[in-house]
Amino acid sequence: MNALSVENLCVKINNIHLIENITFSIEEGSIVAIIGPNGAGKTTLVKAILGLIPSIGSISIFGIPFSGKNSHINIGYVPQRLEFDRTFPLTVSELLSFTIPPIFSFPFIKKRQEKTYIYRLLETVGAQDLADRSIGSLSGGELQRVMIAKAIVNEPKILFLDEPASGVDIEGQERFYDLIMRLNKEKGLTVILISHDLNIVFRFADNVLCINRKLICSGKPAEMLTDEVIKSVYGEMMGAYIHSCHEHD
Amino acid sequence: MNMISEILSYPFIQRALLASVMVGILCPFVGNFVVLRRMSFFSDAISHSAFAGLAAGMLLGIDLSLSSIVVAILIAFLIAFLSEKTTLSHDTIIGIAFSGAIAAGMLIIGMLKSYRADIFTFLFGDILAITTIDLFLIFVVGTLTIATLLTFLKPFLQITFNRDLAYVEGINVRFFEYLLFFIIAVVVTISLKIIGIILVTSLLIVPAAAAKNLASNMKGLFNLSCLFGVISGIVGLMASVYFNTPSGPTIVLVSIGIFFLTLLKPIIRK
Repeated sequence: MNALSVENLCVKINNIHLIENITFSIEEGSIVAIIGPNGAGKTTLVKAILGLIPSIGSISIFGIPFSGKNSHINIGYVPQRLEFDRTFPLTVSELLSFTIPPIFSFPFIKKRQEKTYIYRLLETVGAQDLADRSIGSLSGGELQRVMIAKAIVNEPKILFLDEPASGVDIEGQERFYDLIMRLNKEKGLTVILISHDLNIVFRFADNVLCINRKLICSGKPAEMLTDEVIKSVYGEMMGAYIHSCHEHD
Repeated sequence: MNMISEILSYPFIQRALLASVMVGILCPFVGNFVVLRRMSFFSDAISHSAFAGLAAGMLLGIDLSLSSIVVAILIAFLIAFLSEKTTLSHDTIIGIAFSGAIAAGMLIIGMLKSYRADIFTFLFGDILAITTIDLFLIFVVGTLTIATLLTFLKPFLQITFNRDLAYVEGINVRFFEYLLFFIIAVVVTISLKIIGIILVTSLLIVPAAAAKNLASNMKGLFNLSCLFGVISGIVGLMASVYFNTPSGPTIVLVSIGIFFLTLLKPIIRK
């Protein structure tokens, strides 16, 4: 079954096409990377799918037409740069408790069940020690793990990640992508990931969508990311280098 | 001690004290959203819109509280609508609405045939002139407002944290934003008689800003802001009676005093 189907998606602002007639589908349970140069429309594409910006075309998630408005489809989303007030006096567990349904309940009286759920959620992303930390005091890597926990609170079947590990150190990136792989394997989560890092794409993605305002190619990374395609997407200065080194014994 | 009990024995002081406690809880509670969402200029525009409403009420001979509340809500919705539909920045739209409301109010006041002294009650506030009906109105509106905010606290806080994330998580962001603008307009307008058009925004933002300096979590923020609001109301009112100063500005200055004290937190920690 297709987790996501997009047909003829266009985003036009002030008569300029930011993305034009993009059509693709994504299989349930796969990890798909969206790649392209700066300004190619990767974030615009994800925001249009999520209904955060107006678009033309049709989108369906798990076969259900999706307009973004009051949808009952559970979707997880981790934005590229989370814009929030760093001085916001909000703890990690408070942030997660806001997302736990029902929404018409007082968030400061936590039931034992809710506390346990938040702890387990943080444990899943390796952030159980952060429950009482202020959200503004978290490092880039810690914040990303908390945002993943927030994105999976309601057990979504599909997760959108917009350059989720940018600004995180190499060790943090490794832990982050291992976590995504684990969620994908254990929970069957479909992951749609924007990334600039072709190494990450080769290692973690089942499929890749190359876009530069239009869809350039889609398929398995090893088949699609040829020297020719990379040069057509990123320019002549770029190329694929598949190294032949094996792991040290 | 005898002097305090003597002051407290006057019914108008008792009413003023009750009003300052109720508004001292209500304004900072709503003010937390104003501070966290950086909407201070918006609440200022709403209080000044009420001036146009007062002027219209005087011209048409209708209840001034009703006319000011209706105009304040209309201007709040107009700001929200124009922010959605135009590419202009939020503060530019607020600036236009703000100056437009003041200009319209002054124009209408100029059209009045007689001098109206009661406009000064609304401009500068007069807590000592609060009637039992005013108290009842503040109680009913305040209870409904806090009950609404508590019921929908999760979506309100989610939108305050990050609008896009709230939207993706299925919250009707537009509905809750209009509801918040409505609540701010109502709270600002019912507080006018106590603190006045010119200073009402300070009662919304100063206790909330002071609480934000100290609080490490949301629960602490709400508790501390209401506590600071109540202390400002009671201490300010009693000080104004004792020193024979205007009540509204005294309450505001006490809250600003508390705000400056909270700034000492990092120094005390060292």
